Formats: sequence, C-alpha cells, structure tokens
Amino acid sequence: MTNPIIYPEPIEQAIASLENWLQSIGEQNILRHYSLSPRSLALLLLQKDPTIWQTLKQDDKQQQEVEVLLTVAENQLQYPVDLAIAESREKHARNLAGITIQTTQPAANSTQEILHRLSVNPITGFPILMVILYFGVYKFVGEFGAGELVDRIEGFFEGQINPIVNQIVAQILPWQPLQDLIGNDYGIITLGIRYATAIVLPVVATYFLMFSLLEDSGYLPRMSLMLDRLFKSIGLSGRAVIPMVLGLGCDTMATMVTRTLETKRERLIATFLLSLAVPCAAQWGVILGLLAQKPAALMVWGGLIVAIFLFVGYLSAKFFPGTSGAFYLEIPPLRLPKLGNILTKTWIRMKWYFWEILPLFIWASVLIWLGKLTGLFDLIIRGIEPFAVAIGMPPDTAPIFLYGFFRRDYGAAGLFDIQQQGGLTGNQLVVAAVVLTLFLPCIAQLQIMIKEQGLKTTAIMVAFIVPFAFLIGYCVNLFLNVLGVTL
Amino acid sequence: MNCHQCQKNCYSIKQKHSWWTRLTKKYRKEPLLAIDGNIALVGTPNVGKSVLFNRLTGNYVTVSNYPGTTVEVSRGIAKIKDYQIRVIDTPGMYSLVPISEEEQVSRDLLLEESLDMVIHVVDAKNLGRMLPLTFQLMEAGLTVILAINMIDEAEQLGLKVEPDALKIELGIPVVVMSAALNRGVRELKQTILQLLSFQPEPDSANVEMVR
Repeated sequence: MTNPIIYPEPIEQAIASLENWLQSIGEQNILRHYSLSPRSLALLLLQKDPTIWQTLKQDDKQQQEVEVLLTVAENQLQYPVDLAIAESREKHARNLAGITIQTTQPAANSTQEILHRLSVNPITGFPILMVILYFGVYKFVGEFGAGELVDRIEGFFEGQINPIVNQIVAQILPWQPLQDLIGNDYGIITLGIRYATAIVLPVVATYFLMFSLLEDSGYLPRMSLMLDRLFKSIGLSGRAVIPMVLGLGCDTMATMVTRTLETKRERLIATFLLSLAVPCAAQWGVILGLLAQKPAALMVWGGLIVAIFLFVGYLSAKFFPGTSGAFYLEIPPLRLPKLGNILTKTWIRMKWYFWEILPLFIWASVLIWLGKLTGLFDLIIRGIEPFAVAIGMPPDTAPIFLYGFFRRDYGAAGLFDIQQQGGLTGNQLVVAAVVLTLFLPCIAQLQIMIKEQGLKTTAIMVAFIVPFAFLIGYCVNLFLNVLGVTL
Repeated sequence: MNCHQCQKNCYSIKQKHSWWTRLTKKYRKEPLLAIDGNIALVGTPNVGKSVLFNRLTGNYVTVSNYPGTTVEVSRGIAKIKDYQIRVIDTPGMYSLVPISEEEQVSRDLLLEESLDMVIHVVDAKNLGRMLPLTFQLMEAGLTVILAINMIDEAEQLGLKVEPDALKIELGIPVVVMSAALNRGVRELKQTILQLLSFQPEPDSANVEMVR
C-alpha cells in the first residue's frame, strides 16, 4: 500500500530508522505478533502508544534503543512528535476534503438549528427536560405503564390465572408443599411469573419505548451538553449523562456503557453511583406507581435520591483524586426517529430484559419455597425483622428486603404487592422506597461490575451500600417522626 | 450489550434451543460455514457502523443516534452472492492510539485479528475530520475501503462529495452511501467482492492502485 502521507523530514528519518531497527532484530522483535506494518508500528512508537510501549517494556534493551531514536527525532524537530504527526495528518485531510467536497448553496434548515439551540441552552433546555420528564416519564411510564397497564395485567392475573392455577394444582398435586411450589402465595406461576409479566414488564416496556424515541432523536447528547456543568461539580464529565440515563432503564446495560468514559476514575465513580443511587426502570417505575397517589411522598423520595446522588458523587469525586476528562462529544444532528427502528429496538430490549429476569424470578420462587420448607426463610426474615422495625416498617415487610437481595425490581414488586393487600402509611412507603432504591444492585449488575471493576472494588462498594441504605432509611424515618410529618 | 452477545456464540445458543426447534421440526442442521473473508467495520463513533452491519449481515445490533452505542465487538455473516463473509462491528475509534476503553477494544481487534479488509465508515458531513484515521489504517498496511456514509444528510447541507477524485487521491476504493436508506450498499458489496478478488475488477487500470 502506498503511503498516504509524507511526514516532516525528521519524523520520516525516525520512521526509517525504526523500521530498519525492527527489521534488523527480526525474530527477537517482541512486537512482531501485531498484524501491523512496520511503518505503522514505528508511528505508534513515536506517538508513545501505551499498549505498544507496555509490550516493549518486557525488554529493556529494545526499549532503550527506541527511546534513543525518539529523543533524536524530538531534538531535531524541537516540537512534540505526536503533535507533529497529528498535524500532518489533519493538514493532509483538510486538503483532500477541500479538493473533493464542494459546497453548494446550503439548504435552509433553520428549524433544526433553533431546536438545537433551545435544547442546549440551560434557560430553555432545563424546562424542556422537565416537560420531557413530566410527560415521558411521569405520565407515560409512571401513570400509564406502572399504573394503568400494571393494574390491568395484575388484575387479570389475580382474577383469572391465579385462582385457576391454584385450583388445578390443588387437584392434581396431592402434597401441600408441592402445591406451594407452583401456586399459592409464593409459587413459581403465582409469584415469579406474575411479578415478571404483570409488574415489571409493562414498566420496562413503556420506559424502553420512550427511551428509544429520545435516543434516536439525538436529544440525549444535547442533554449531556446542558447538564455538563452540573456533572462536572460531582467529578464527572457530561459524557457520563448517557450511562446515567441509560441506568434509569437498566443499570446492567449502563454499567457496561461506562466504558465510553475516558478516565478510570470517572468510570469508577459512575459505576458506584449507578449501583447506589440510580434505580432501574422496573424499580422506579413500580415506586412511581406506588407513590403516584401521594405527590408529597413522591417528592420526598425523588428529592432525596437526587440529593444523595449529587452528594455521594461530590464526595467520591473528592475522595478519588484526579481530573475528569475534558468534555468532547460528537453532537449528532437532530433527526426524526424512524418508527421501525424504535419498535425493533424496544422489542429487542424488552425481550432481552424479560428473558434475563424470568429465570431469576423463577429461581427466587424456588429458593423461597426451599427456604420455607426448611425453615431457613423464616430464620432469615426474623433476622431482618429488627432492621425493618428499626426503620419504622411493619414486621411483615421484612421479606421484601430479602427479595431485594435477589433483584431490586423484585423487591419493588414485592412492595407493590404488600401495598395492594392492605397498605402501608405514606411514611413507611417512602422509607421502604428509599432503602430499596439505594439497596444492592441486582445479580446481573453485580456480575458486570465484577467483570469491569474487579472483585475487590465491587466488594468494597457492596460493603458500603448495604449499611448505607439502611442508615439512610433509619434517618429518614427518624426525621419524619421527629418533625411529625405524615405523608 | 448483553442482548447482543448472541453474535459471539450463536452456535451454543442454537444448541441450547435445539430441543425446542427440533420439536417444532423447523430445525435443520446447517452445514458448517466456510468463511471466505474476514472484514471489520471501523470508524469514529456515531457514523452508522452498526446500521451498516445490520444491512450487511441481517443481524440486529442496537442502533441509536448518539456516540458510544456499541461498546463491544459484534460478529455476523454477510452473504454476498455465494460467498460467506464474516463482518465485525467495532466500537467507535478516533485514532489508532486509543484514549478510552471502547477505542482500546477496536484497536486491539485491529492489532490481533487477521483481517482481509477493513471498511472505514465515515460521516460525509465531516469528511475532513475523519480522513486522518483512513491514513492510519492505510499506513498499517490494511486493505481499506472508504465508505462515505450519511450522504443524504450531507446533500441536505449542500455538500457534494466527489468520490472519484477521492479515490484517485487516496488510491483506495471509495463508496458513497446512506446505510439507513439502503443507498450504495449494493455498490459496497460489489467492491468487497472485488477486493477479495472474487470478482474481476471492471476497470483493470484500478487494480494496481487498489491492491
């Protein structure tokens, strides 16, 4: 292949001598297993590429030789080599673009420009965000998904499916414990599948639909741009907005997307915040549905979680020294989303989410059944009860914290169940919602955290999160009681 | 993302479901695929690599309108005429020297995988900013096709790209396309086959330059 670029003379000399050197050492060359041309390897060495450099470090002699060649080139240039290389490339690219692109009269596209300005400017952008949150999140996901849809499907389950299942089970299975495995209070169908399809699925489906729409319109990067300053103050660049918003859908997915963040420190803070203070769609959707009738309670919960998010983010930014990466993000054009793409994407995500949780929910049912059979379940619940009582909850809510161990959304769904059966006071709902939101991430998220951050870091995070969640719950309860507030 | 990991191990998943598919009698054992070529889609974030991947392979990987949607490598098979070509979708990268972890993933792939070809997907609206990566890919000794994507949006902005001039200047094949509108995908497929020398080059004068 021909060389597309001729670099300034000192760099070309350095490339030539590096190429020669790479050839002369032949078999001893530890870089030879890379499938790149010698010229490319030479250029990467000149740009001090970390991976290549790391490989070179295995051999002191080779490293010293390269360093000598580098220093010679740098002295001749009197200019950082990597900058000179980048500059030559950019200059050549500009020239080429100049020759091969013609600008005809630009078509007027002013509505797009106006919309862009409006969404990026904080004065107009913040109200726009609020409107999107109100209609997209509160109205569509909260009231329609977690309210209307959940009520319908849940009602269908309770009214039609559960009684039939219980009846059939009672007739064909002679043994009470076996009946309980499939039906009754904690059965695979009557609890596990019901939670997954009736409570979690509608919430997740409506959220993914709304989120896909926002994604494809190009709004998210503009939101990041607007919120950049707020995020800077907690030690993250505006880039971190996207993983956080994605976390409101599924924290597992979002933890993976933290890879787009530049510095290790940013990734660590973002991962931590995701596991502590960013509830996933199934979880906040259910909580939204629960608290929707009590706006004051909803405000306390929302305000508290946001405050904790900002405060803990701020503290961890202080705690982990370093700088947040500079904010550069391609701002894609605003586009009219394609219906086909949105529906496909929502469908694929829903399917993935559902198959991910269904086995877990079924396992949870089986585990609870086993626990009940052996008495272990009651033992653990009796262990949790004092904590539940300490944060002002009735003792029979203890199981939902155990569910929370399995999955956040499972716990939230359990809370929903208790509320429907008889109820908790507004205060108790808020406290339980706060504790469950802060509580441990689900099993899938834990796995990804371990994969991305390592076992040790994850263990430290978990060791902080569990007591912290209960402590906050305790404080909220105390605070509400002392002030005599009833929500 | 989790939901798309199936591309990596679609065989094991097939086996997992085979009892069910066998029950429904839709299951037929496919002959082992003979791969005729290995190509990777690379480029800056948010230029439409994943849309192109979906177009070429018929698989689905998530596509969005913001940079960084793809953070892991996806693999799929494109059937072009009778040839089976493995296509690899990569996270976005700005240069061969990576800054973030997603770029590292793509770079490692270029370093370690034996590829027959890379398709550098660029945004027609920002061609000038994206060409430096083309140079680096060429310098690396890779066989490169430059796929100028989103040409429809560039045209809306009043930009006219001359692919032939660029082809002569760079000495590599250049295809102008809009993957989302399915424009230029056929030309790209033809170019792929030509470069893998499965098809005679129509203009033999170009062969020297291209190979």
